[in-house]
Amino acid sequence: MLAVALALPWFGGVMLALVDGRRRGAAWLAAGCLGLALGVLAVLLGMVIADGPLEGVAGGWPSGVGITLRADALGALFALTSVAVLVSALVYEVAAGIRSPRFPALVLLLATGLTGLFLTADVFSFYVFFELSMIASYVLAAYGDKSRQLTAGFIFAVVNLLGSFLFLIGVAAIYHVTGSLDMATVAERLQGADSGIVLLIAVAIFVAFGVKLGLFPFHFWLPTVYTSATPAVAAMLSGAVANIGSYGLLRFGAGVMPEALQLGAPVLIGLGTASILYGALQSVSRRSAAEVLAYSAVGQAGYVLVTLSVAGAVGLTAAVVYAIANALNKALLFLSLEVRGWAVGLVFAVGAFSVAGVPPTAGFFGKVEVFRAGVTEDSVALVALLFLGGALSFLYMFQIYQHDFWREQRRTPASGRLVQAVPIVLMVLVVALGLWPEPLLRAGQEAAEAVQEGGP
Amino acid sequence: MTLAYAIGVGVLFGSGAFLLLKPDLFRIVVGIVLVSNAANLALMAGGLTRGSAPVDPAPGERVSDPLVQALTITALVIGFAVTALLLVVAYRVYVSAHTVDLDELSHAEARHEQNLEREELEV
Repeated sequence: MLAVALALPWFGGVMLALVDGRRRGAAWLAAGCLGLALGVLAVLLGMVIADGPLEGVAGGWPSGVGITLRADALGALFALTSVAVLVSALVYEVAAGIRSPRFPALVLLLATGLTGLFLTADVFSFYVFFELSMIASYVLAAYGDKSRQLTAGFIFAVVNLLGSFLFLIGVAAIYHVTGSLDMATVAERLQGADSGIVLLIAVAIFVAFGVKLGLFPFHFWLPTVYTSATPAVAAMLSGAVANIGSYGLLRFGAGVMPEALQLGAPVLIGLGTASILYGALQSVSRRSAAEVLAYSAVGQAGYVLVTLSVAGAVGLTAAVVYAIANALNKALLFLSLEVRGWAVGLVFAVGAFSVAGVPPTAGFFGKVEVFRAGVTEDSVALVALLFLGGALSFLYMFQIYQHDFWREQRRTPASGRLVQAVPIVLMVLVVALGLWPEPLLRAGQEAAEAVQEGGP
Repeated sequence: MTLAYAIGVGVLFGSGAFLLLKPDLFRIVVGIVLVSNAANLALMAGGLTRGSAPVDPAPGERVSDPLVQALTITALVIGFAVTALLLVVAYRVYVSAHTVDLDELSHAEARHEQNLEREELEV
Protein backbone atom coordinates (compact mmCIF):
# COMPACT_ATOMS: atom_id res chain seq x y z
CA MET A 1 0.00 0.00 0.00
CA LEU A 2 2.80 2.38 0.97
CA ALA A 3 4.84 1.51 -2.06
CA VAL A 4 1.82 1.88 -4.36
CA ALA A 5 1.09 5.39 -3.07
CA LEU A 6 4.67 6.34 -3.84
CA ALA A 7 5.25 4.43 -7.07
CA LEU A 8 2.07 5.54 -8.82
CA PRO A 9 2.93 9.24 -9.23
CA TRP A 10 6.60 8.42 -9.66
CA PHE A 11 6.18 6.10 -12.64
CA GLY A 12 3.54 8.38 -14.04
CA GLY A 13 5.89 11.35 -13.75
CA VAL A 14 8.81 9.57 -15.36
CA MET A 15 6.67 8.29 -18.24
CA LEU A 16 4.98 11.61 -18.85
CA ALA A 17 8.30 13.46 -18.79
CA LEU A 18 8.92 11.85 -22.17
CA VAL A 19 5.74 13.06 -23.86
CA ASP A 20 4.36 16.48 -24.63
CA GLY A 21 2.10 17.40 -21.72
CA ARG A 22 0.29 20.03 -23.73
CA ARG A 23 -1.63 17.24 -25.48
CA ARG A 24 -4.99 16.70 -23.77
CA GLY A 25 -4.56 12.94 -23.55
CA ALA A 26 -1.24 13.10 -21.71
CA ALA A 27 -2.48 15.80 -19.37
CA TRP A 28 -5.64 13.87 -18.46
CA LEU A 29 -3.57 10.74 -17.96
CA ALA A 30 -1.49 12.69 -15.43
CA ALA A 31 -4.62 13.92 -13.67
CA GLY A 32 -6.03 10.38 -13.60
CA CYS A 33 -2.78 9.01 -12.21
CA LEU A 34 -2.76 11.64 -9.48
CA GLY A 35 -6.44 10.97 -8.76
CA LEU A 36 -5.65 7.29 -8.33
CA ALA A 37 -2.80 8.17 -5.94
CA LEU A 38 -5.28 10.34 -4.03
CA GLY A 39 -7.63 7.38 -3.71
CA VAL A 40 -4.81 5.15 -2.47
CA LEU A 41 -3.83 7.75 0.12
CA ALA A 42 -7.43 8.09 1.30
CA VAL A 43 -7.63 4.31 1.81
CA LEU A 44 -4.25 4.45 3.54
CA LEU A 45 -5.43 7.15 5.95
CA GLY A 46 -8.54 5.07 6.73
CA MET A 47 -6.40 2.00 7.42
CA VAL A 48 -3.96 3.95 9.58
CA ILE A 49 -6.71 5.48 11.70
CA ALA A 50 -8.45 2.12 12.09
CA ASP A 51 -5.46 -0.15 12.80
CA GLY A 52 -2.49 2.05 13.66
CA PRO A 53 0.63 2.87 11.65
CA LEU A 54 1.76 0.85 8.65
CA GLU A 55 5.41 0.13 8.15
CA GLY A 56 7.62 -1.23 5.43
CA VAL A 57 11.40 -1.51 5.25
CA ALA A 58 13.01 -1.09 1.86
CA GLY A 59 15.12 -3.95 0.54
CA GLY A 60 14.09 -6.46 3.23
CA TRP A 61 16.53 -5.14 5.83
CA PRO A 62 15.66 -5.54 9.50
CA SER A 63 13.77 -2.59 10.97
CA GLY A 64 16.13 0.11 12.25
CA VAL A 65 18.87 -0.77 9.76
CA GLY A 66 17.20 -0.31 6.38
CA ILE A 67 15.33 2.73 5.17
CA THR A 68 11.86 2.62 6.67
CA LEU A 69 8.66 3.88 5.11
CA ARG A 70 6.05 4.42 7.76
CA ALA A 71 2.57 5.87 7.46
CA ASP A 72 1.06 7.23 10.65
CA ALA A 73 -1.99 9.47 10.93
CA LEU A 74 0.03 12.71 10.70
CA GLY A 75 1.93 11.74 7.57
CA ALA A 76 -1.07 10.19 5.82
CA LEU A 77 -3.27 13.19 6.58
CA PHE A 78 -0.74 15.68 5.24
CA ALA A 79 -0.06 13.53 2.18
CA LEU A 80 -3.77 13.26 1.45
CA THR A 81 -4.31 17.01 1.75
CA SER A 82 -1.30 17.89 -0.38
CA VAL A 83 -2.20 15.47 -3.15
CA ALA A 84 -5.81 16.70 -3.07
CA VAL A 85 -4.57 20.26 -3.62
CA LEU A 86 -2.25 19.11 -6.40
CA VAL A 87 -5.05 17.21 -8.16
CA SER A 88 -7.35 20.23 -8.12
CA ALA A 89 -4.61 22.58 -9.31
CA LEU A 90 -3.64 20.18 -12.09
CA VAL A 91 -7.23 19.71 -13.26
CA TYR A 92 -7.67 23.49 -13.19
CA GLU A 93 -4.56 24.03 -15.31
CA VAL A 94 -5.45 21.25 -17.74
CA ALA A 95 -8.89 22.76 -18.21
CA ALA A 96 -7.44 26.25 -18.64
CA GLY A 97 -4.84 25.02 -21.13
CA ILE A 98 -1.31 23.93 -20.26
CA ARG A 99 1.45 26.11 -21.65
CA SER A 100 4.52 24.00 -20.97
CA PRO A 101 5.13 20.44 -22.20
CA ARG A 102 6.60 19.27 -18.89
CA PHE A 103 3.96 20.69 -16.56
CA PRO A 104 1.95 17.48 -15.82
CA ALA A 105 5.11 15.43 -15.28
CA LEU A 106 6.47 18.02 -12.85
CA VAL A 107 3.25 18.01 -10.85
CA LEU A 108 3.41 14.22 -10.61
CA LEU A 109 7.04 14.34 -9.46
CA LEU A 110 6.12 17.01 -6.93
CA ALA A 111 3.39 14.65 -5.66
CA THR A 112 5.96 11.83 -5.43
CA GLY A 113 8.32 13.98 -3.39
CA LEU A 114 5.58 15.17 -1.05
CA THR A 115 4.09 11.70 -0.52
CA GLY A 116 7.57 10.32 0.11
CA LEU A 117 8.56 12.89 2.66
CA PHE A 118 5.31 12.58 4.57
CA LEU A 119 5.57 8.80 4.64
CA THR A 120 9.25 8.25 5.42
CA ALA A 121 10.67 7.45 8.82
CA ASP A 122 14.26 8.14 7.91
CA VAL A 123 15.81 11.56 8.37
CA PHE A 124 18.00 11.38 5.30
CA SER A 125 15.41 10.04 2.91
CA PHE A 126 13.23 12.85 4.24
CA TYR A 127 15.90 15.21 2.88
CA VAL A 128 16.02 13.39 -0.46
CA PHE A 129 12.23 13.51 -0.96
CA PHE A 130 12.25 17.08 0.26
CA GLU A 131 14.77 18.03 -2.45
CA LEU A 132 12.81 16.06 -5.05
CA SER A 133 9.65 18.00 -4.35
CA MET A 134 11.51 21.30 -4.05
CA ILE A 135 13.27 20.88 -7.39
CA ALA A 136 9.91 20.22 -9.05
CA SER A 137 8.47 23.31 -7.39
CA TYR A 138 11.46 25.49 -8.43
CA VAL A 139 10.69 24.65 -12.02
CA LEU A 140 6.96 25.16 -11.46
CA ALA A 141 7.58 28.59 -9.89
CA ALA A 142 9.22 29.69 -13.15
CA TYR A 143 6.24 28.28 -15.11
CA GLY A 144 4.96 30.92 -17.49
CA ASP A 145 8.44 31.83 -18.73
CA LYS A 146 8.07 35.57 -18.49
CA SER A 147 11.12 37.40 -17.23
CA ARG A 148 9.29 38.24 -14.02
CA GLN A 149 8.40 34.62 -13.28
CA LEU A 150 11.92 33.50 -14.08
CA THR A 151 13.39 35.99 -11.64
CA ALA A 152 10.84 34.96 -9.01
CA GLY A 153 11.66 31.31 -9.63
CA PHE A 154 15.36 32.04 -9.24
CA ILE A 155 14.86 33.86 -5.94
CA PHE A 156 12.56 31.09 -4.70
CA ALA A 157 15.14 28.45 -5.58
CA VAL A 158 18.10 30.26 -4.01
CA VAL A 159 16.38 31.08 -0.72
CA ASN A 160 14.91 27.63 -0.33
CA LEU A 161 18.16 25.93 -1.28
CA LEU A 162 19.87 27.79 1.53
CA GLY A 163 17.15 26.41 3.82
CA SER A 164 17.63 22.90 2.44
CA PHE A 165 21.38 22.96 3.01
CA LEU A 166 20.88 24.16 6.56
CA PHE A 167 18.59 21.19 7.02
CA LEU A 168 21.28 18.92 5.58
CA ILE A 169 23.81 20.31 8.06
CA GLY A 170 21.22 19.58 10.76
CA VAL A 171 20.96 15.99 9.48
CA ALA A 172 24.75 15.67 9.61
CA ALA A 173 24.70 16.89 13.20
CA ILE A 174 21.90 14.47 14.10
CA TYR A 175 23.88 11.58 12.67
CA HIS A 176 27.00 12.70 14.49
CA VAL A 177 25.24 12.92 17.85
CA THR A 178 22.98 9.86 17.65
CA GLY A 179 24.67 7.60 15.10
CA SER A 180 21.29 6.86 13.58
CA LEU A 181 18.97 8.27 10.94
CA ASP A 182 15.81 6.43 11.94
CA MET A 183 13.45 9.04 13.41
CA ALA A 184 12.27 6.93 16.36
CA THR A 185 15.83 5.98 17.32
CA VAL A 186 16.98 9.58 16.88
CA ALA A 187 14.18 10.85 19.15
CA GLU A 188 15.12 8.28 21.78
CA ARG A 189 18.83 9.02 21.72
CA LEU A 190 18.47 12.80 21.60
CA GLN A 191 16.74 12.69 24.97
CA GLY A 192 19.95 11.79 26.71
CA ALA A 193 22.11 14.15 24.63
CA ASP A 194 23.64 17.45 25.66
CA SER A 195 20.84 20.03 25.46
CA GLY A 196 23.14 22.66 23.95
CA ILE A 197 23.86 20.47 20.93
CA VAL A 198 20.21 19.48 20.56
CA LEU A 199 19.23 23.14 20.63
CA LEU A 200 21.78 23.91 17.91
CA ILE A 201 20.35 21.15 15.69
CA ALA A 202 16.83 22.33 16.45
CA VAL A 203 17.70 25.88 15.37
CA ALA A 204 19.15 24.72 12.04
CA ILE A 205 16.08 22.59 11.33
CA PHE A 206 13.68 25.28 12.50
CA VAL A 207 15.23 27.83 10.14
CA ALA A 208 14.95 25.35 7.27
CA PHE A 209 11.22 24.80 7.84
CA GLY A 210 10.62 28.44 8.69
CA VAL A 211 11.91 29.38 5.24
CA LYS A 212 9.68 26.79 3.62
CA LEU A 213 6.59 27.89 5.51
CA GLY A 214 7.32 31.60 5.10
CA LEU A 215 7.42 32.52 8.79
CA PHE A 216 8.04 36.14 9.67
CA PRO A 217 11.78 36.72 9.52
CA PHE A 218 12.18 34.26 6.65
CA HIS A 219 9.18 35.29 4.59
CA PHE A 220 10.80 37.83 2.25
CA TRP A 221 10.82 35.54 -0.80
CA LEU A 222 7.17 34.62 -0.47
CA PRO A 223 5.22 37.64 -1.79
CA THR A 224 7.42 37.93 -4.90
CA VAL A 225 6.92 34.29 -5.78
CA TYR A 226 3.20 34.01 -4.99
CA THR A 227 2.29 37.17 -6.87
CA SER A 228 4.18 36.33 -10.04
CA ALA A 229 3.22 32.64 -10.22
CA THR A 230 0.14 31.58 -12.17
CA PRO A 231 -2.93 30.79 -10.00
CA ALA A 232 -2.52 27.01 -10.30
CA VAL A 233 1.15 27.16 -9.31
CA ALA A 234 0.44 29.59 -6.46
CA ALA A 235 -2.23 27.17 -5.21
CA MET A 236 0.25 24.30 -5.33
CA LEU A 237 2.97 26.27 -3.56
CA SER A 238 0.71 27.56 -0.78
CA GLY A 239 -1.57 24.53 -0.47
CA ALA A 240 0.85 21.65 -0.92
CA VAL A 241 4.52 22.71 -0.78
CA ALA A 242 4.06 24.94 2.29
CA ASN A 243 2.70 21.85 4.10
CA ILE A 244 6.31 20.63 4.25
CA GLY A 245 7.00 23.45 6.70
CA SER A 246 4.05 22.71 8.99
CA TYR A 247 4.70 18.98 8.84
CA GLY A 248 8.41 19.44 9.49
CA LEU A 249 7.77 21.66 12.50
CA LEU A 250 5.30 19.13 13.91
CA ARG A 251 7.40 16.08 13.18
CA PHE A 252 10.84 17.38 14.10
CA GLY A 253 9.78 19.93 16.71
CA ALA A 254 7.12 18.06 18.62
CA GLY A 255 8.05 14.51 17.60
CA VAL A 256 11.83 14.25 17.50
CA MET A 257 13.01 17.14 19.68
CA PRO A 258 10.22 17.92 22.19
CA GLU A 259 12.71 19.16 24.81
CA ALA A 260 14.22 21.71 22.46
CA LEU A 261 10.71 22.78 21.50
CA GLN A 262 9.85 23.39 25.14
CA LEU A 263 13.08 25.25 25.72
CA GLY A 264 12.58 27.45 22.67
CA ALA A 265 8.85 27.99 23.19
CA PRO A 266 9.07 31.67 24.25
CA VAL A 267 11.12 32.55 21.17
CA LEU A 268 8.86 30.54 18.88
CA ILE A 269 5.73 32.15 20.31
CA GLY A 270 7.35 35.56 19.81
CA LEU A 271 8.21 34.78 16.18
CA GLY A 272 4.77 33.32 15.53
CA THR A 273 3.06 36.39 17.01
CA ALA A 274 5.24 38.68 14.92
CA SER A 275 4.35 36.58 11.89
CA ILE A 276 0.60 36.79 12.54
CA LEU A 277 0.60 40.55 13.12
CA TYR A 278 3.02 41.36 10.32
CA GLY A 279 1.12 39.20 7.82
CA ALA A 280 -2.25 40.64 8.79
CA LEU A 281 -1.11 44.28 8.76
CA GLN A 282 0.68 43.91 5.44
CA SER A 283 -2.39 42.24 3.96
CA VAL A 284 -4.65 45.06 5.10
CA SER A 285 -2.43 47.60 3.37
CA ARG A 286 -2.30 45.78 0.01
CA ARG A 287 -4.73 46.11 -2.86
CA SER A 288 -3.80 43.35 -5.29
CA ALA A 289 -5.57 40.10 -4.39
CA ALA A 290 -2.53 37.88 -4.95
CA GLU A 291 -0.41 40.07 -2.71
CA VAL A 292 -3.02 40.04 0.05
CA LEU A 293 -3.18 36.25 -0.11
CA ALA A 294 0.61 35.99 -0.04
CA TYR A 295 0.90 38.09 3.13
CA SER A 296 -2.06 36.29 4.60
CA ALA A 297 -0.08 33.05 4.13
CA VAL A 298 2.71 34.57 6.26
CA GLY A 299 0.16 35.31 8.98
CA GLN A 300 -1.51 31.90 8.88
CA ALA A 301 1.89 30.21 9.20
CA GLY A 302 2.29 32.08 12.48
CA TYR A 303 -0.79 30.39 13.97
CA VAL A 304 0.65 26.95 13.32
CA LEU A 305 3.88 27.90 15.06
CA VAL A 306 2.25 29.58 18.07
CA THR A 307 -0.25 26.76 18.65
CA LEU A 308 2.45 24.17 18.27
CA SER A 309 4.67 25.78 20.89
CA VAL A 310 1.97 26.81 23.35
CA ALA A 311 0.39 23.55 24.25
CA GLY A 312 0.67 19.79 24.57
CA ALA A 313 -1.75 17.37 22.96
CA VAL A 314 -4.53 19.93 22.47
CA GLY A 315 -2.11 22.32 20.82
CA LEU A 316 -0.84 19.65 18.47
CA THR A 317 -4.33 18.69 17.38
CA ALA A 318 -5.08 22.37 16.84
CA ALA A 319 -1.90 22.88 14.81
CA VAL A 320 -2.69 19.89 12.57
CA VAL A 321 -6.33 20.86 11.98
CA TYR A 322 -5.36 24.47 11.39
CA ALA A 323 -2.62 23.58 8.92
CA ILE A 324 -4.96 21.32 6.93
CA ALA A 325 -7.81 23.86 6.86
CA ASN A 326 -5.37 26.58 5.86
CA ALA A 327 -3.97 24.53 2.98
CA LEU A 328 -7.47 23.98 1.60
CA ASN A 329 -8.40 27.68 2.03
CA LYS A 330 -5.33 28.89 0.22
CA ALA A 331 -5.81 26.46 -2.66
CA LEU A 332 -9.44 27.54 -2.98
CA LEU A 333 -8.65 31.25 -2.93
CA PHE A 334 -5.71 31.15 -5.32
CA LEU A 335 -7.62 28.99 -7.80
CA SER A 336 -10.65 31.29 -7.75
CA LEU A 337 -8.55 34.43 -8.33
CA GLU A 338 -8.62 34.43 -12.11
CA VAL A 339 -11.78 32.47 -12.73
CA ARG A 340 -14.68 34.39 -14.18
CA GLY A 341 -18.25 33.19 -14.02
CA TRP A 342 -21.49 33.28 -12.10
CA ALA A 343 -20.38 31.33 -9.04
CA VAL A 344 -16.94 32.79 -8.52
CA GLY A 345 -18.05 35.55 -6.16
CA LEU A 346 -19.70 32.97 -3.93
CA VAL A 347 -16.64 30.71 -4.06
CA PHE A 348 -14.31 33.53 -3.13
CA ALA A 349 -16.61 34.65 -0.31
CA VAL A 350 -16.68 31.14 1.15
CA GLY A 351 -12.88 31.04 0.99
CA ALA A 352 -12.73 34.44 2.69
CA PHE A 353 -15.13 33.29 5.41
CA SER A 354 -13.01 30.22 5.93
CA VAL A 355 -9.83 32.27 6.35
CA ALA A 356 -11.60 34.57 8.79
CA GLY A 357 -13.01 31.54 10.63
CA VAL A 358 -16.74 31.99 10.13
CA PRO A 359 -18.93 28.86 10.33
CA PRO A 360 -19.84 26.67 8.54
CA THR A 361 -16.40 26.31 6.97
CA ALA A 362 -13.31 24.22 7.63
CA GLY A 363 -11.47 27.36 8.75
CA PHE A 364 -13.94 27.78 11.59
CA PHE A 365 -12.91 24.47 13.14
CA GLY A 366 -9.26 25.36 12.70
CA LYS A 367 -9.88 28.49 14.75
CA VAL A 368 -12.03 26.59 17.31
CA GLU A 369 -9.21 24.15 17.92
CA VAL A 370 -6.69 26.96 18.35
CA PHE A 371 -9.10 28.70 20.71
CA ARG A 372 -9.52 25.52 22.72
CA ALA A 373 -5.73 25.12 22.94
CA GLY A 374 -5.48 28.71 24.21
CA VAL A 375 -8.16 28.18 26.85
CA THR A 376 -6.82 24.82 28.00
CA GLU A 377 -3.35 26.21 28.44
CA ASP A 378 -4.60 29.45 30.04
CA SER A 379 -2.81 31.41 27.39
CA VAL A 380 -4.47 34.82 27.29
CA ALA A 381 -2.02 35.91 24.62
CA LEU A 382 -3.08 33.15 22.23
CA VAL A 383 -6.80 33.86 22.64
CA ALA A 384 -6.29 37.62 22.22
CA LEU A 385 -4.08 37.01 19.18
CA LEU A 386 -6.68 34.72 17.69
CA PHE A 387 -9.40 37.35 17.91
CA LEU A 388 -7.19 40.19 16.71
CA GLY A 389 -5.82 38.11 13.84
CA GLY A 390 -9.31 36.89 12.97
CA ALA A 391 -10.69 40.41 12.89
CA LEU A 392 -7.84 41.61 10.70
CA SER A 393 -8.21 38.69 8.31
CA PHE A 394 -11.92 39.43 8.04
CA LEU A 395 -11.00 43.00 7.17
CA TYR A 396 -8.45 42.25 4.48
CA MET A 397 -10.37 39.41 2.88
CA PHE A 398 -13.42 41.61 2.43
CA GLN A 399 -11.36 44.52 1.24
CA ILE A 400 -10.27 42.48 -1.73
CA TYR A 401 -13.69 40.93 -2.10
CA GLN A 402 -15.18 44.39 -2.34
CA HIS A 403 -12.40 45.64 -4.57
CA ASP A 404 -12.51 42.72 -6.97
CA PHE A 405 -16.15 41.66 -7.04
CA TRP A 406 -18.28 44.70 -6.25
CA ARG A 407 -16.58 47.84 -7.39
CA GLU A 408 -15.57 47.12 -10.93
CA GLN A 409 -17.66 45.29 -13.46
CA ARG A 410 -15.52 42.56 -14.89
CA ARG A 411 -15.41 42.80 -18.63
CA THR A 412 -13.56 39.56 -19.27
CA PRO A 413 -15.66 36.66 -20.54
CA ALA A 414 -16.56 33.75 -18.30
CA SER A 415 -14.04 30.92 -17.97
CA GLY A 416 -14.68 27.40 -19.24
CA ARG A 417 -17.11 25.24 -17.30
CA LEU A 418 -14.45 22.86 -16.02
CA VAL A 419 -12.24 25.73 -14.89
CA GLN A 420 -15.15 27.03 -12.85
CA ALA A 421 -15.95 23.57 -11.51
CA VAL A 422 -12.60 23.09 -9.75
CA PRO A 423 -12.94 25.96 -7.23
CA ILE A 424 -16.59 25.01 -6.74
CA VAL A 425 -15.63 21.44 -5.80
CA LEU A 426 -13.02 22.77 -3.38
CA MET A 427 -15.61 25.13 -1.93
CA VAL A 428 -18.02 22.23 -1.38
CA LEU A 429 -15.20 20.37 0.37
CA VAL A 430 -14.43 23.33 2.65
CA VAL A 431 -18.11 23.75 3.53
CA ALA A 432 -18.59 20.01 3.98
CA LEU A 433 -15.68 19.89 6.43
CA GLY A 434 -17.31 22.80 8.26
CA LEU A 435 -20.68 21.04 8.47
CA TRP A 436 -19.34 17.61 9.31
CA PRO A 437 -15.93 18.13 10.91
CA GLU A 438 -15.68 14.79 12.74
CA PRO A 439 -13.37 13.10 10.22
CA LEU A 440 -10.97 16.06 10.21
CA LEU A 441 -10.96 16.42 14.00
CA ARG A 442 -10.59 12.67 14.50
CA ALA A 443 -7.68 12.55 12.06
CA GLY A 444 -6.16 15.58 13.79
CA GLN A 445 -6.34 13.89 17.19
CA GLU A 446 -4.84 10.69 15.84
CA ALA A 447 -2.08 12.73 14.21
CA ALA A 448 -1.31 14.54 17.46
CA GLU A 449 -1.09 11.19 19.24
CA ALA A 450 1.19 9.85 16.52
CA VAL A 451 3.50 12.85 16.96
CA GLN A 452 3.71 12.37 20.69
CA GLU A 453 4.71 8.75 20.39
CA GLY A 454 8.06 10.06 19.20
CA GLY A 455 9.40 9.80 15.68
CA PRO A 456 7.35 7.83 13.17
CA MET B 1 40.83 16.51 12.46
CA THR B 2 37.41 17.66 13.61
CA LEU B 3 38.79 21.17 14.01
CA ALA B 4 40.13 21.15 10.44
CA TYR B 5 36.74 20.03 9.16
CA ALA B 6 34.98 22.65 11.24
CA ILE B 7 37.20 25.41 9.85
CA GLY B 8 36.72 24.08 6.33
CA VAL B 9 32.92 24.05 6.70
CA GLY B 10 32.98 27.51 8.24
CA VAL B 11 35.12 29.03 5.50
CA LEU B 12 33.05 27.43 2.73
CA PHE B 13 29.75 28.48 4.27
CA GLY B 14 31.02 31.99 4.97
CA SER B 15 32.30 32.53 1.43
CA GLY B 16 29.08 31.09 0.05
CA ALA B 17 26.95 33.38 2.19
CA PHE B 18 29.09 36.36 1.12
CA LEU B 19 28.59 35.55 -2.55
CA LEU B 20 24.84 35.08 -2.02
CA LEU B 21 24.61 38.72 -1.01
CA LYS B 22 26.01 39.94 -4.34
CA PRO B 23 23.55 41.41 -6.82
CA ASP B 24 24.72 39.16 -9.65
CA LEU B 25 22.87 35.95 -10.56
CA PHE B 26 25.99 33.95 -11.43
CA ARG B 27 27.80 34.93 -8.22
CA ILE B 28 24.68 33.77 -6.37
CA VAL B 29 24.83 30.40 -8.12
CA VAL B 30 28.49 30.01 -7.14
CA GLY B 31 27.53 30.98 -3.58
CA ILE B 32 24.91 28.22 -3.50
CA VAL B 33 27.48 25.72 -4.79
CA LEU B 34 29.85 26.68 -1.96
CA VAL B 35 27.12 26.42 0.67
CA SER B 36 26.07 23.02 -0.68
CA ASN B 37 29.64 21.81 -0.41
CA ALA B 38 29.85 23.14 3.14
CA ALA B 39 26.84 20.92 3.91
CA ASN B 40 28.49 17.94 2.21
CA LEU B 41 31.67 18.46 4.19
CA ALA B 42 29.65 18.68 7.39
CA LEU B 43 28.00 15.41 6.45
CA MET B 44 31.41 13.76 5.99
CA ALA B 45 32.62 15.20 9.26
CA GLY B 46 29.52 13.83 10.98
CA GLY B 47 30.81 10.27 10.78
CA LEU B 48 34.59 10.36 10.99
CA THR B 49 35.89 7.00 12.14
CA ARG B 50 39.32 5.56 11.42
CA GLY B 51 39.63 2.12 9.91
CA SER B 52 39.95 0.22 6.69
CA ALA B 53 37.41 0.29 3.91
CA PRO B 54 34.36 -1.77 4.90
CA VAL B 55 34.80 -4.27 2.07
CA ASP B 56 35.03 -7.81 3.45
CA PRO B 57 36.79 -6.80 6.72
CA ALA B 58 38.63 -9.36 8.82
CA PRO B 59 36.72 -10.23 12.01
CA GLY B 60 37.34 -7.67 14.75
CA GLU B 61 38.99 -5.19 12.40
CA ARG B 62 37.92 -1.54 12.68
CA VAL B 63 36.17 -0.23 9.60
CA SER B 64 35.46 3.33 8.60
CA ASP B 65 31.82 4.45 8.52
CA PRO B 66 30.49 3.83 5.00
CA LEU B 67 27.12 5.45 5.63
CA VAL B 68 28.32 9.06 5.57
CA GLN B 69 29.96 8.49 2.23
CA ALA B 70 26.72 7.11 0.82
CA LEU B 71 24.87 10.11 2.23
CA THR B 72 27.41 12.56 0.85
CA ILE B 73 27.32 11.14 -2.64
CA THR B 74 23.53 11.36 -2.63
CA ALA B 75 23.73 14.96 -1.43
CA LEU B 76 26.39 15.71 -4.07
CA VAL B 77 24.18 14.40 -6.85
CA ILE B 78 21.27 16.49 -5.60
CA GLY B 79 23.53 19.53 -5.36
CA PHE B 80 24.73 18.91 -8.90
CA ALA B 81 21.19 18.70 -10.27
CA VAL B 82 20.17 21.83 -8.44
CA THR B 83 23.18 23.76 -9.73
CA ALA B 84 22.37 22.74 -13.29
CA LEU B 85 18.78 23.89 -12.78
CA LEU B 86 19.86 27.23 -11.29
CA LEU B 87 22.25 27.87 -14.16
CA VAL B 88 19.49 27.18 -16.68
CA VAL B 89 17.13 29.58 -14.91
CA ALA B 90 19.86 32.24 -14.69
CA TYR B 91 20.56 31.80 -18.40
CA ARG B 92 16.84 32.09 -19.24
CA VAL B 93 16.67 35.28 -17.20
CA TYR B 94 19.66 36.59 -19.13
CA VAL B 95 18.08 35.70 -22.48
CA SER B 96 14.79 37.37 -21.67
CA ALA B 97 16.06 40.42 -19.77
CA HIS B 98 19.60 40.83 -21.22
CA THR B 99 21.12 41.33 -17.80
CA VAL B 100 22.15 39.24 -14.81
CA ASP B 101 22.30 42.16 -12.41
CA LEU B 102 19.55 41.98 -9.81
CA ASP B 103 19.34 45.76 -9.41
CA GLU B 104 18.84 46.23 -13.13
CA LEU B 105 16.29 43.42 -13.15
CA SER B 106 14.21 45.08 -10.48
CA HIS B 107 14.48 48.45 -12.28
CA ALA B 108 13.27 46.80 -15.49
CA GLU B 109 10.40 45.24 -13.57
CA ALA B 110 9.39 48.55 -12.01
CA ARG B 111 9.42 50.19 -15.45
CA HIS B 112 7.33 47.34 -16.82
CA GLU B 113 4.75 47.76 -14.06
CA GLN B 114 4.59 51.51 -14.59
CA ASN B 115 3.90 50.91 -18.25
CA LEU B 116 1.15 48.46 -17.37
CA GLU B 117 -0.48 50.93 -15.01
CA ARG B 118 -0.30 53.66 -17.62
CA GLU B 119 -1.94 51.37 -20.16
CA GLU B 120 -4.68 50.55 -17.68
CA LEU B 121 -5.34 54.23 -17.07
CA GLU B 122 -5.51 54.91 -20.77
CA VAL B 123 -8.02 52.09 -21.25
